[in-house]
Amino acid sequence: MSDKTLSLSDAIERYVPDGVGTVAVGGMHLHNNPMGLVRELIRQHRPVDRLLTSPCGAMNADLLIAAGLVREIATSYVGFEHLGLAPAFRRLVESGSVRVLECDEAYITHGLTAGAGGLPFVALPVGLEISDVAKVNPESYRVVDDPFTGQSVLAGAPIRPDVALLHAAEADASGNAVLAGAHFVDRLMALAARTVVLQVERVVPTETIGAHPVGTTLPGFIVQAVVELPGGCHPTASHGNYRYDEDHLRTYLALAATDQGAKTYIEDYVTQTSEDVYLSTMQLSREHADR
Amino acid sequence: MSNRTSAQSAPTWSPSELMAVELARQLRNDDVAVMGTASALPQVACALARETHAPDLWFVAGGTCGVNPHLAPAVPSCCDESLLRADTAIPLSDVVLLEGRGDVFTVFFSGGLQIDAYGNCNLVAVGNWARPSLRGPGTVGLPFLSRVGRVLIYTMSHNPRTFVERVDFLGGPGFLDGPASWTTAGLLGGGPAAVVTPLCTMDFDEKTLRMRLRSVHPGVEVDQVLDATGFQLAVPSTVPTTADPTAEQLSIVRKLDSDGILKGR
Repeated sequence: MSDKTLSLSDAIERYVPDGVGTVAVGGMHLHNNPMGLVRELIRQHRPVDRLLTSPCGAMNADLLIAAGLVREIATSYVGFEHLGLAPAFRRLVESGSVRVLECDEAYITHGLTAGAGGLPFVALPVGLEISDVAKVNPESYRVVDDPFTGQSVLAGAPIRPDVALLHAAEADASGNAVLAGAHFVDRLMALAARTVVLQVERVVPTETIGAHPVGTTLPGFIVQAVVELPGGCHPTASHGNYRYDEDHLRTYLALAATDQGAKTYIEDYVTQTSEDVYLSTMQLSREHADR
Repeated sequence: MSNRTSAQSAPTWSPSELMAVELARQLRNDDVAVMGTASALPQVACALARETHAPDLWFVAGGTCGVNPHLAPAVPSCCDESLLRADTAIPLSDVVLLEGRGDVFTVFFSGGLQIDAYGNCNLVAVGNWARPSLRGPGTVGLPFLSRVGRVLIYTMSHNPRTFVERVDFLGGPGFLDGPASWTTAGLLGGGPAAVVTPLCTMDFDEKTLRMRLRSVHPGVEVDQVLDATGFQLAVPSTVPTTADPTAEQLSIVRKLDSDGILKGR
């Protein structure tokens, strides 16, 4: 099997081209965000035309927005849950600098399914057309006639990310990967994306993956690159490995409330440091679900 | 907000603990409930109901999608791995399918930056959507409120900025613009059933479908609620006081919330 392991910088350089279209970032809320890949996008200054989050984006989206690299975001939530609103998302959307393709959870999930399965569009449950979401996002949502009943129904465009940046607990060198804990919509993102770049806590032998294949793994034939990056979800959690770092997240939230603070954070923790140095200085709490 | 009762000494529970008990009282034995972001409060409410009057209730902690998560401790993030310590867990995409199916979940917990007189919820934007004065996080699964049995709304913020006559952005449908539009829409769901805040519990007038004061929490005056509400709240001629939590309810809440995240607020 071909060896798809790459260094962080090589993976981004090779698979996230300058002028990339839609980039999907995996994870949900404060968990399993592929932060190492996100930080490397910032180091290599790759502008993203359209960023797609899972139903709930967090640091994965806000940091890219803070870095000024996002033109448009397709999302149904960007925030830090109980820790507060997403500071850069809030600031730059309020000022009109970042455009929002307003989505809801059903469309992101079913739209990715449509993208993964080659469905020309997906019809959405009756009732979803009532909300204002579809009204402000005609690019993703249209009203069509149901060919079976003749009723008007809401339809969603398929979602096909050019690149999905995802975290997995482990993978073998050919890209067969184990998603530990909750999968969120990471599997759908991988199935729908043209290119999948994985960051993993560790690279393991194929036999380790094959021990529990059903429902826990992604097949290597849809994965282009594997980057071993232990601790790489920091400051978000990595299910099965470490908790989110609330103190660090609060530091980010405080700084990113202003343009200048966001710049300071990005210099201190991203552009003026290497990923190795960043990860070596962060404390990972190993305490997790076993408590 | 003071949580002192007017005439007696301070109660021994926090506003959120009382809210968890009050939300539990809205739940039935045959319910299947679903909840989303930052939902420790409804999770504790569901687990409390299971340990008291509703042992057959099911609840799904959206995010991780743990089914009947074991809590102890309750955790602030809905995607926390510890919520997979549960009776079982299903993929998020399965929960989205079943929310769409519409005849499985009977209760959906909701909230908002804005909640209006007809129980519509808005988590998206205050002001004009294109150039909002406050950009909220986004609507997540709230459009599904149109398809579930009962919507239970809760918020820690009972003030005129949150409780408005009309939401600026309709993310989670309540009774829309009132009886005419609600009837015309013919939605599958039953609409909002109750609203629980640190001050009071509210429901909806059967005819006008507008929010109505049902009970004030111990130590809270009716005028205090009216001052904190940015629309004309329906007030019945007599307003009872919300029942105190029993010693058993409180002790179960604290057993489930072993880290005390509901205790201080």
